[in-house]
This record gives sequence, C-alpha cells and structure tokens, in this order.
Amino acid sequence: MKKMTMVQALNDALHIAMEENERVFVLGEDVGKMGGDFGVTRGLYEKFGAERVRDTPLSEAAIIGTAVGAAMVGMRPVAEIMFADFLTTCYDQIVNNAAKVHYMFDGQFKSSIVIRTACGAGFGGGPHHSQSVEGWFMNVPGLVIVAPSTPYDAKGLLIASIENDNPILFLEHKALYRIKEDVPEEKYTVPIRKAKIGREGKDVTIVASMWMYHLALNAAEDLASEGISAEVIDLRTLRPWDHETVLESVARTGRAVVVNEAPKIGGLSADISAVISEEAFSFLKSPVQRVAALDTPIPFSLILEKLILPDKEKIISAVHKTLKKA
Amino acid sequence: MGEIETGKILAMYRDMCIIRSFEFALEREFKKGNVPGMLHTGVGQEALLTAIAHSIRKSDGFFPDHRCHGLLVLAGTPGEKIMAELFGKATGVCSGKGGSLHSADPSVGNFGDNAVEGSFMVTALGVGLGWKMQGKDSVVAVMVGDGTSGRGEWHESLNLAATWKLPILYCCVNNGYAISTPVGESHATADLYEFAKAYKIPSVQVDGNDLLAAYEATQKAVAHIRAGNGPYFVEYKTWRWQGLFSGEFRPPEEVRYYKEEHDPIQMTRKLILDKNIADEAHLTKIEQEVNARIEDWVNFAMQSPLPNPEKATANVYVGWEVEKA
Ligand SMILES: Cc1ncc(C[n+]2csc(CCOP(=O)(O)OP(=O)(O)O)c2C)c(N)n1
Ligand SMILES: [Mg+2]
Repeated sequence: MKKMTMVQALNDALHIAMEENERVFVLGEDVGKMGGDFGVTRGLYEKFGAERVRDTPLSEAAIIGTAVGAAMVGMRPVAEIMFADFLTTCYDQIVNNAAKVHYMFDGQFKSSIVIRTACGAGFGGGPHHSQSVEGWFMNVPGLVIVAPSTPYDAKGLLIASIENDNPILFLEHKALYRIKEDVPEEKYTVPIRKAKIGREGKDVTIVASMWMYHLALNAAEDLASEGISAEVIDLRTLRPWDHETVLESVARTGRAVVVNEAPKIGGLSADISAVISEEAFSFLKSPVQRVAALDTPIPFSLILEKLILPDKEKIISAVHKTLKKA
Repeated sequence: MGEIETGKILAMYRDMCIIRSFEFALEREFKKGNVPGMLHTGVGQEALLTAIAHSIRKSDGFFPDHRCHGLLVLAGTPGEKIMAELFGKATGVCSGKGGSLHSADPSVGNFGDNAVEGSFMVTALGVGLGWKMQGKDSVVAVMVGDGTSGRGEWHESLNLAATWKLPILYCCVNNGYAISTPVGESHATADLYEFAKAYKIPSVQVDGNDLLAAYEATQKAVAHIRAGNGPYFVEYKTWRWQGLFSGEFRPPEEVRYYKEEHDPIQMTRKLILDKNIADEAHLTKIEQEVNARIEDWVNFAMQSPLPNPEKATANVYVGWEVEKA
C-alpha cells in the first residue's frame, strides 16, 4: 500500500499496463516528455520511448481515429483528450466509428480503445473547460463510459478498461485528481459495469458518481446526525450502468435521489430515474428526486458556477423531500 | 506498355469488366427493389480501381469508399458474399448488417467503408501506425473522393501521415464533383495533389481512366511506401457515370466525351486490340464469362436467406449481451 493521489494511481495503472503488454501505447497532446496536462502520463516517455508515448498536434479527430485504426489491427491504444469539453471535435470518430466498428462489420473488428479525458467543474474553468459530458454519449450503443471516484478505483478501473475489448470513454474528474488514499502498488482490476455501495443505509438510496459521489457521502454524514440513514452508491460505470445494484438498493430503502453534475434534460439522471420508476415503482414510498446542474452552460465566476451546480445542501434537501420533510 | 506483360493486361481487363458488370447488375436489381438503401456505383472508374487492386497485396489493407463494390471483389472476397451483403442477406460478408456502405472483410485487408465521408482518413493512420509498430511492411490504401477533400480529417490525416512517416497510399478519386458541386468551386485548387505537396507528401496526378498510366503511378507509389519512405498521394482524374439520383446534371458534351471517347473499358479494349494482345472474339468471351459469373452471384444473393433476427442485437459489445426487448 502507498498513499497515492488519483493522478498517481492512474499513472501507476498506465505503467503497469504498458509494462505488461507491448501493444499498449499512449497518444495525445503533450503526453510525452511533459507527462500530460495533469501529469497522468508522467514518466512513461522516459521508460517506453517516443514510439509508445506519442505526442500529437491538436488533432483530436486524428487522435481517436488513430486509436481506432490501431485497435483494428490488434493494438491497445490509450488516447488522451486533454479536456472532455474537446470531445466535440472528435465526436464523430467516437460515435460513428469507435462505437460501431464491432457491430456494423458483425464482429470482424474490435475497437478496444480507452479514451482518457479530464471532465467536471468546480474550479472556474468556464464554459469550455468544465463540462460533464456523459449525457452527450448516453445514447450511443456500443460505447462504455467508466468514471472512477477514488484513487483505488481509478487504478483498478483503468487497468480493467485497457484490458477490455470495448471502446471505453474514461472520465477523470479534475476535482478528484489530488485526493489521496491507500492504493496497492501491485496490479489489480476493478470490475467494469459494477457499481459500489460506498455507504450502507436503510432510509434512502443516493446514486452518484465522481465528484458528486463525494458530495453525496458528505450529505449522508450530515443526514446521519439527523437520524436519517442514507445509502450511497457510486456507479463507477455510467454506461451501461449497473441496474441491479441500484434497483436492489432502492427496493430496500424505498426512496431514491439521483445526483449528476450535468443538466437533467436527456441526461444520466433522467435515465436512472426512469429505470427506477419502471422497475422499482412498487417499492417507492415517494417520487424519485434528481439533483443536477441547472440548464445553463458553466459560468466562469465561481459564485455563479456554484449556483448552477449540485452541492451538499441541495442533496440534503432532495433527501428531505423523499422523506416528505421538506 | 513497357514491362507490363500482356497476360497482366488481359487479367486487368477482365477485372475491369467484373467491376462494370457487377455495378450494372446492382443498378438493375436496385431498380427492381432487391437492393435496399442507397446505391452509389463505380461505373466509369474501373481502370483506377483495378490498378489499385493489382498494386496491393493481400497482406496490405484498404479503406474502400462508396464507389468500390468492384474493388471489394478484386481484393479477394468471394463475389457472391459481397453481392449478398448488398442485398441485406445472411450470407453477406457482414451478415447483412453493413450493406453497400459497410462491407468489410479483414481476411483480405478490407477495413470497410465509413459512410461519414472522409472520417476513415484518420482511421487509416491507426492501421498504418499499428503495422509500423508491429514491424510489418504492409501498406494501407485509402479511397477518397474529391468532394471529401474539405473534411478536417482529410487534412489531419495528411499532416500526421507525413509527420509519422506512415505507410499510407492516398488514392484521391477526382471525378470532378461532390454530389453536384464542382471540385474547383469548393476547394482552393481543383488539382488536389497540390494539397499533398504542402504536407510534404510525394504526389502525382494521373489520368485514372488510362489503365496503364494509373497502374504505373500506383506501382511507383506503393514501392515508395513499402521501402519505408512514408505516405504517397495519387490523384486519379476520372469521371463517374452515375449522376444524381434525380438524373444527369453535367453538360451534355462532357457526358458524351466520357461515355464515348474516354470510357476506361473502351480505352483498354482498344489498347488490347491495337497491340494485338487478344482479338475481338477473345475479349467478347471474357465479357460473357464475367457477365455469367455476376448473374450467378445475383442468383446466390436472391436465393440467400434473410439474416436471423438474433443478428439485430449481436456484437454490440464484446462479451456482453444487450436487452432483447
Ligand atoms: C461527412 C459527410 N458529409 C456529407 C455526406 C453526404 N454525401 C455522400 S457522398 C457526397 C459527395 C461526395 O463527393 P466525392 O467525395 O467527390 O465522391 P463521389 O461521390 O463524387 O465519388 C456527399 C456530400 C456524407 N456521406 N458524409
Ligand atoms: Mg467526386
């Protein structure tokens, strides 16, 4: 065990994956000598060289296209898109190619790629460096979205993603890059498509991911002092997400609050809420509540940004609503 | 004619006939309603397609565009499997899930079309890079139309292929128009190989309807790439017989010229007769044999079963099923 930040845990995962399989290679902007904008690829260039740690120009479509093509001939590329907001510039490559190659050619090719990208708000990044993008990709069959909330899960999920044969969009929340916890130094994996119950409770289920998961844990702590026992689920995989764990929990608690950093309309929170209503309606003691961003772009000024984002207080009041205490 | 053997020319002529006959049969079946979806054909572009097919090996690869049905067959996939795919049948090369625009076959190096025109320009980078990293000397050809030269991916691809010295053969099929827009009215130059120069990629413009010229240019390009020198760009000037779905839109004199004076099949036929490589009877026999083979493929496609309903939900993910209802 070693105390690692999420950046170090991700970096560790890349070192292990690249040592283990020479077909794994990394490409993206400034991932080489510089080690990436957030330091996740640090030390890879020195150890594995320019061939396997490949700096690209600002050609996001080419980054993803290269990754998919390389996967089609058996390589295991890990592409970095510096900020998730820039995924729009390679949206076509992800949606129409990465996610469809396996299906449209009926299984003759695999698109085993990992697209790592830094997402999320909370630091004054403004409209183009802060977005939560999972909703943009929810409606894309074939695509998998993985989103760790802790350093331990980040390492295990990244190794599992690199070993997985599906195209994986791997979201790294910027607010979590510097959080620390004990992480094993050896190799391990964390299963994809498996949510985690991060805190057990019996009165209400709070479903969250990434930064929102931490806010939900804080909310649960405060709620406990009021005598409310909240169960907190970290989805870890956002698409396709783990219905079983969520529904089983809601069946026990009878109440659900869904937290997502992106706007409600057509997003992840809408889907989770719909599935709970479809599958667990008879267990619900009150309507599902959603806590999500307002329907606005992310404003720059921190006070405005805070206004439109979910926070602990909003989660607590949503829980109160499910308990009809509001 | 130089070093090209006469046998080779006859073989290429036969392949050109396969392309044309295949496309004519498709047009006929499309009109009858047997071929679903949209149909783009390579009629008029047989010489360059054949030149490319005869210049790359089975261990090489290619990304076909929407006018390449014939190339898929020349690459080595059994013709009936391509035909059946276009009919949406279970026996198709992608079990009827890809159709005309997505018929891939990795066993012959066919990476499949991407109907978002030009998007595979960057997929080809990955194939080239992957093979280079694996120490292979394979070449990957990309078929791309003139109208697609405005895509950002087109330019991202040329820049990176040159920077990384990737084994990519850019086959720019300049038939003069996008759907209806003339290339020169929508690009800074109508001579697209000039773009390649800016990216430091060796390039050439050739008459794509002249079989031998197209073949020689392609051979030279492939030799350059295989020797490890990085990408090469060949612009084939040609003309497609297919106008718009609504009909012909090009000047009558231009249509007449390309169909009567500059048709690659007639040009190659004349070359063979003029050089006494074969006589009229021999060529007619080749044409008849080809036509009969194509009709066999059509019959095969017609008689093939439709895809099993299970195929609709198969191979979305590797290793996971999707909900069936
Ligand atoms: C990205 C994209 N834009 C538009 C289309 C619609 N479209 C299909 S073919 C075509 C024209 C392509 O022209 P060109 O590349 O010259 O090929 P040609 O059909 O002339 O062989 C267009 C606009 C498309 N399929 N993909
Ligand atoms: Mg054109």
